[in-house]
Amino acid sequence: MGTPTPPPASTSAELDGETALGLLRTMWRIRCFEERVAQLKRTLQVHGLIHLSIGGEGVAAAICGQLRDDDTVYSGHRAHGHAIAKGAPLDRVMAELMGRSDGLCRGLGGSMHLVDRAHGLLGATGVVAGNIPLAVGNALAARLRGSDQVTVVFFGDGAVQTGYFSESVNLAALWELPLILVCENNGFAEFTPRSAHTTVERVCDAVAPYRFPCQSVDGTDVGALFAVFAADLDLARRGRGPLLLECMTHRRRGHYEGDQEAYRDALADAEWQRRDPLARLQADAIAQRWLDEAGAGALEQGARAEVEQAVSFARASPFPALELAGELVYASER
Amino acid sequence: MKELDNQRLVWIYTQMLRIREFEERVKGTFEEYPGVIRGHTHLADGAEASIVGSLATLRPSDQLMATYRCHGYPLALGTDPKAMMAEIYGRSTGLCGGYGGSMHLVDTERGFLGTSGIVGQGIPQATGAAYAAQIRKQDQVVLCFFGDGASKQGAFSESLNVASLWKLPIVYVMENNSYNVVTRVEQEDANAAAGEPLAMKAKAFSMPGVTVDGGDPIAVYEAVGAAVDRARSGAGPTLVESKVYRLSAHGNIIAPPGVPLHYPEHEAIEVFGAREEYEAALRGDPVPRFRARLISDGSLTVDAADQIAAHVREEMQVAVQFGIDSPYPEPEAALHNVYA
Amino acid sequence: MAREIPYIAAINEAIHQEMARDESVLYFGQNLATTENDEFLKAFGSDRVRVTPISETAEIGMAVGAAIAGMRPVVELYMAEFMLVAMDQVVNEAPRFRYMSGGRVKVPLVLKAGYGFTAGWAGQHTGSIYGMFMGIPGLKVALPATAADAKGLMATAIRDENPVCYFHHYLLTLEPGEVPEGEYLVPFGQASVRRSGGDVTIVATGWMVGKALAAAESLAAEGIEAEVIDPRTLVPLDIDTILSSVEKTGHVVLVDQATRHASASALIAAEIADHGFSALKAPIKQVTALDASVPYSEPMEAYVLPDEAKILCAVHQVLGTAPVAA
Repeated sequence: MGTPTPPPASTSAELDGETALGLLRTMWRIRCFEERVAQLKRTLQVHGLIHLSIGGEGVAAAICGQLRDDDTVYSGHRAHGHAIAKGAPLDRVMAELMGRSDGLCRGLGGSMHLVDRAHGLLGATGVVAGNIPLAVGNALAARLRGSDQVTVVFFGDGAVQTGYFSESVNLAALWELPLILVCENNGFAEFTPRSAHTTVERVCDAVAPYRFPCQSVDGTDVGALFAVFAADLDLARRGRGPLLLECMTHRRRGHYEGDQEAYRDALADAEWQRRDPLARLQADAIAQRWLDEAGAGALEQGARAEVEQAVSFARASPFPALELAGELVYASER
Repeated sequence: MKELDNQRLVWIYTQMLRIREFEERVKGTFEEYPGVIRGHTHLADGAEASIVGSLATLRPSDQLMATYRCHGYPLALGTDPKAMMAEIYGRSTGLCGGYGGSMHLVDTERGFLGTSGIVGQGIPQATGAAYAAQIRKQDQVVLCFFGDGASKQGAFSESLNVASLWKLPIVYVMENNSYNVVTRVEQEDANAAAGEPLAMKAKAFSMPGVTVDGGDPIAVYEAVGAAVDRARSGAGPTLVESKVYRLSAHGNIIAPPGVPLHYPEHEAIEVFGAREEYEAALRGDPVPRFRARLISDGSLTVDAADQIAAHVREEMQVAVQFGIDSPYPEPEAALHNVYA
Repeated sequence: MAREIPYIAAINEAIHQEMARDESVLYFGQNLATTENDEFLKAFGSDRVRVTPISETAEIGMAVGAAIAGMRPVVELYMAEFMLVAMDQVVNEAPRFRYMSGGRVKVPLVLKAGYGFTAGWAGQHTGSIYGMFMGIPGLKVALPATAADAKGLMATAIRDENPVCYFHHYLLTLEPGEVPEGEYLVPFGQASVRRSGGDVTIVATGWMVGKALAAAESLAAEGIEAEVIDPRTLVPLDIDTILSSVEKTGHVVLVDQATRHASASALIAAEIADHGFSALKAPIKQVTALDASVPYSEPMEAYVLPDEAKILCAVHQVLGTAPVAA
């Protein structure tokens, strides 16, 4: 990893200009949002445990951007990107992170537990792999409804060693559910490298006994990822499943904000910085003349402005009425 | 792996017969002594060749853990059947003092570390015992027995991943009897539904997986023996799928107190109406099959085989009588053993 | 010789000392000993100190099996809630194995789990779930509130012959306290009277001990002397110390960060009602978290948790006194 490598190949071969710009816009919105969240966390304006996906925006954008509102996404503790790419409004996500009543979950969930029914983000869970059986259940429900809705569940490589994963994969395979399992393999489960977790090198190997379609793709090559997922989505839409897509990716920040990152040396950071999916796609878009430097700057500025509006919106939103803490324990009406 | 000499072959047959007779006597107790056995029992008839073939590979210092279908292992290890029967009858002379019953036999002196009554949950425990063996560095190997149903438990995959990662000295012996309780394996297992052997699951853990005819004790001995050698050499775990056919129903009927308990017909007949499947299994019964083989190759005479059978019948009759004659524990003993 | 070290350092010191003392003590779990610089790894090697995958059922199940095979594993679970992923092993295997064997085996292990991280971790990482383990015969439950107890209870837990749930409070992690050097054991089942007083008995655990002591100081300024008792272990529970305090004061306030109906205080209240009813001059009052999952938003989070003001209010209620206006 120490030796210089040639610049990554063009990522945009599979994209048209309009799609590429849409992806870039989503990625800038996620990037700016999360950079702002990191600042707000340092000044304690958002509290609790915050996991950022900076460096991994390409996966969220390429996958969620192709889904319909009535397709379902389940995410986990690192959910901001998935939520934003699936259509959750920035201001309401920010309000949630700041614990306000206009937050997506009225301030009850916070960063790790985002839910936005209207946009098909049915949930994010704070326990590794806990979302996978939920997604299997969702896919089963979609099948029972006779719909062509597709369920996508995001999880990290650490989740693959859990019982949740293997139990769920067996059932999804047995029942041939329209479920796309998306593993964001950043090579680290929380703080420890993959080699401390398993002898199985690729997540695809872990589902080898089931013989369902499984691919490993470079998660920083947004164009390639977009095309691969489009094919998967087409299969799932036609009732095929499950499928697994392993996205080799990288998180540029710690496991959580405040992580001391004692393991950082092993991460080959410089190399991944060169493969920043946002920078790659933007450079390609400029080379393709879909965008000029000024247009790129405008994309970023637009995203930053939107994030600032979201912060203002969140700050203006009141904290929830305290009684809400008790009122929401049980559902009271159908 | 040692070659099986004549004496060892006869030992294997004798143990198979002892397990069969013991299980027949457990089943018979429901008729002979109604009410004596409470709760749930699970019999190993049909799996004798797999059990004894597996245990024949072990050294005295090796260890094993199993499931609630656990009568066979300690019998083959030399545990006193009187104490086992008394345990199943809930008597103070029982192997575990009447605290555990049929599903929870333990005989640590013989390396039988115990069982779990919950499907799949003994697998991490055996894996932990293998971890202990690895760091104790006395060349011990642990055998872990479980059924096909358990292989869908998270406990299974989590454990096999760790064992493969840490190269633990363990052999996972999956006794695949094609049924989990009343569900056929292809109804709940994606590999089985695809017509694949369950040993294929080993691929997910970069571990060797082999399938063997669990009705043939010599084939089991060779497959498990190779896996034990591999484990002992430090090369790590193996998954052995041993295909068996359980000749009794999953367990005795489950009924409220007062309703006499008994063994129903096998699920193939009772649930699926597949009498021919069951009768084919009976025709392949591993116990007479192995007897015929030993007689035909001259390892055993008919007279000697009959003598063994008579001796085993007598031994298990004594065990039943011992259990029946034994006292119940003092009720106050219920509060002992809560804490060590 | 006592010196001040943080709560978390005291826990680590106990594990370190016990591992040095007894080579059957193992330490494994997620995210530990991941670099060669790890002090446990350096001292005890990778046989006894291991990082595991995210596989709670395997981690705890392996601890049970290794314990049956003669080891004394300490499982690092980080979050108490992660135990819930492996509830069968915690509830149905570890504490029952020995019993059902008729005492033929023992299962000495420690499940080390942080709890109560009510600092914006929302509903899945903040629970005070020890109460649900009090009803499991065969399990012991330790709940250190000070750095010294953190060390002494961990050492005792490791030497105990039974499975022990050792719950350390996340908000106390960096809290310094005087901790004896060298071997230091705090016996199980021996409550600590943190403050003496004759007017009201306050029983509190974990992070709540500090809140109760702060409340006691405020009460003292009003001329009310509270006795503050920290049970330190919930199983075994030192009910005698609590009852003799109640004999003296006749008034009881129980403070618990858990939700009311899963709290230790509900069980302690039942024991007091059962064995000490005649000493009571007023009904027992419990100050617990409200029956809700812990909400994320900071004001709501504070709203559901017990605090000093709620303790003061409860004390005045049982004493029939009017609170001094703040």
